[in-house]
Amino acid sequence: MRHYELLVVVKPTLTVEELQAKLSFLKEILEKNGAVIAATLEMGTRKLAYQIDKFERGTYVVFYFTAPTAAIAEVERLIRITEEFIRFMTVKFENQKELRFWNKQVEKITKKSDVAPVVESKEIVEEQQATTEA
Amino acid sequence: MAEKRKFARKYCKYCEAKVEYIDYKDAKILRHSLSERYKIMPRRLTGNCKRHQEMVELAIKRARATAVIPYIIDTQKVVAVPFEQLQQ
Repeated sequence: MRHYELLVVVKPTLTVEELQAKLSFLKEILEKNGAVIAATLEMGTRKLAYQIDKFERGTYVVFYFTAPTAAIAEVERLIRITEEFIRFMTVKFENQKELRFWNKQVEKITKKSDVAPVVESKEIVEEQQATTEA
Repeated sequence: MAEKRKFARKYCKYCEAKVEYIDYKDAKILRHSLSERYKIMPRRLTGNCKRHQEMVELAIKRARATAVIPYIIDTQKVVAVPFEQLQQ
């Protein structure tokens, strides 16, 4: 099992449901090939530095996972077939320093997703207090 | 010569910041080692150490492949604010 980071650029024309379907499709492929996904980060739709397939914008999604080495070739093959993914980049993390960065990224993302609902609930509590006071 | 003077004090900015790994998705860190036309700046002008220069080179090439930063800047088609997302 090696540590990897996979970035995919998805077509900007997809709706939210279509995008989620494509992402869960990719996750399924990864897990089917023995990968354990540690974190996913959706960077949102941003402007591309140059046109890709006539698209000016693209949706960036990053996966952090550990997988056996043979899985990568299969996953990349399937990404190439799927039209919705216009670019991808797999990066291997090997030595100590790189792994430390990998862990840091995973921690950052998981923390963010943990913190976000807590903040929301706090706001709700405050709102409730405000309403009760009023 | 003007460019040379700009980088008069030579030291590795990445060493100073104690950067262990340069993420290719973060255009802000890469910007220091890129010229105005988004070419990779040589070590003699930026003062990067060899270890960090190699990391930056790899990160820049990955960033170009994923359209985070451009390969070339089009001089024919001039836009008012090009790559506004890169100049944070």
